[in-house]
Amino acid sequence: MLPIIQVNNISKQYRVSGSPSVAPTLREALMAKLKSSFNATGNHANDSGLFWAVKDISFEVNPGEVVGIVGRNGAGKSTLLKIISRIIKPTFGEVNIYGRVGSLLEIGTGFHPDLSGRENVFLNGAIIGMRREEMRRKFDDIVAFAEVERFLDTPVKYYSSGMYMRLAFAVAAHFEPEVLILDEVLAVGDVAFQKKCLEKMKHVSRQGHTIFFVSHDLLSVRQFCTRALLIESGQLLDDGPVAAVTDRYLELMSQK
Amino acid sequence: MSQVSSNNPELVPRSSRDPLIKISATRSAIIPQLTEAWDHRELLYFLVWRDLKVRYRQTLLGVAWVILQPVLMTLVFTIFFNQLGHFPSEGVPYPLFAYAGLLPWTFFANSISTGSSSLLSNSYIITKVYFPRVLIPTAIVGVRLVDFLIASAVLIGLMLFYRVGITRHMLILPVLVAESTLLAVAIASWLSVLNTKYRDIGTLLPVLIQVWMFASPIIYPSSMVPTRWRSLYSLNPLVGIIENFRAAFFGLPFEWRAMAISAGVTLVLLVYVIHIFNRLQEGLVDRL
Repeated sequence: MLPIIQVNNISKQYRVSGSPSVAPTLREALMAKLKSSFNATGNHANDSGLFWAVKDISFEVNPGEVVGIVGRNGAGKSTLLKIISRIIKPTFGEVNIYGRVGSLLEIGTGFHPDLSGRENVFLNGAIIGMRREEMRRKFDDIVAFAEVERFLDTPVKYYSSGMYMRLAFAVAAHFEPEVLILDEVLAVGDVAFQKKCLEKMKHVSRQGHTIFFVSHDLLSVRQFCTRALLIESGQLLDDGPVAAVTDRYLELMSQK
Repeated sequence: MSQVSSNNPELVPRSSRDPLIKISATRSAIIPQLTEAWDHRELLYFLVWRDLKVRYRQTLLGVAWVILQPVLMTLVFTIFFNQLGHFPSEGVPYPLFAYAGLLPWTFFANSISTGSSSLLSNSYIITKVYFPRVLIPTAIVGVRLVDFLIASAVLIGLMLFYRVGITRHMLILPVLVAESTLLAVAIASWLSVLNTKYRDIGTLLPVLIQVWMFASPIIYPSSMVPTRWRSLYSLNPLVGIIENFRAAFFGLPFEWRAMAISAGVTLVLLVYVIHIFNRLQEGLVDRL
């Protein structure tokens, strides 16, 4: 089978704060220019001010695989997902994707408190990449899934946080791109709703969609994924069947 | 959800192995990005719709503000520049003259002032989802374009009041509206992306807008500018737009020279901004 995603040696470098700031004012930029023209040797930021959030990661994913990404906080999981989602650019390397990508790094992106539930479904759908026609077709399913029928025309600022989350997740759950990227989004609602979400995602993956799933909840990673990647300090430490990789992750955690 | 993979057109394996999306460290080419922006026009529509809806829901006067802003300005200008200053107005009643200049100006000035902060104020979306970033400032211009069209209705009302007839010259209006929209999109996009790099833009812009207003034929006709300065003056693309906007409404002779210069400057700016935006959007999310 031909892979749907090829990740080739991607790296992402960041400056640590304290070194030249990321959003300088005009004055700072001018001063930096002046300084560098005066001492031609001294303008290199020293290497200690730089760090690799992701370093030289490569892997391939086949269509229909559900890949869990595990690792500690700050290991580089989100950076990796943001690169694949095209939100940030890698410093080196390339990614080839042979299909549409939808990323849900949070749910309800772009929800506006003053707009009604109905309006937010369409707005959020458009932002995450759904077509209007697709939203019209799935609208009733989304509303039923979220269980907010009675409050559809109420501004979402009056929603309880549970209702808000359910509606936001319902839109996300009905989005079916070829590659779906999920970052911790399942951590919403009560246990029953989480289970419903997981079921929905399994259903999506069975239809041949490829899914990336980042979560600290190893139980749902094990339940849901077929394969896992273990990221540690920006590097790919392990890649294989979900059980083996999550075991290795637990082992690693207990060592520290 | 009844689809199975075999009849879902999106899941049919592609015969060619050219990736649909290619992510790399090198700068993306411009043409594919423009195509991509065009493919996202539905999202553009939703972003404009969102802002209009929210504004009309949050503000008491809603649509009235759109008209009140140029109307109040016209009132002020009429008192100070016409009654006290005796500014000429090409034989058109001064309030009409001023309002017709203020319409495209208000559209332009509001577009660039809200547009300049648009990437910053929408950072909560662009750090979470990818879509062509240029849609954000473009949507702001879209919202202002709707305001512009609404406020234009008042001009027609004023013309009836002053018994100024409608002529065939109005046929050029779509061209002028299109040009001012392109110009507004170019400047708003440019400022918005520059603003993520240098936050000074936000402070500098109100002053710049003031200067720009006095350098445009809004409170005075461009015939007041000495002839030898006229070419330099016309390099301000708003000169050609505003003068011909008035000519279209009041049946005055068109200023073709100013029009041509204005179109040329707009085009050059547009091409420049497409390049600079493409360059500056690279580290955009890293800077937010």
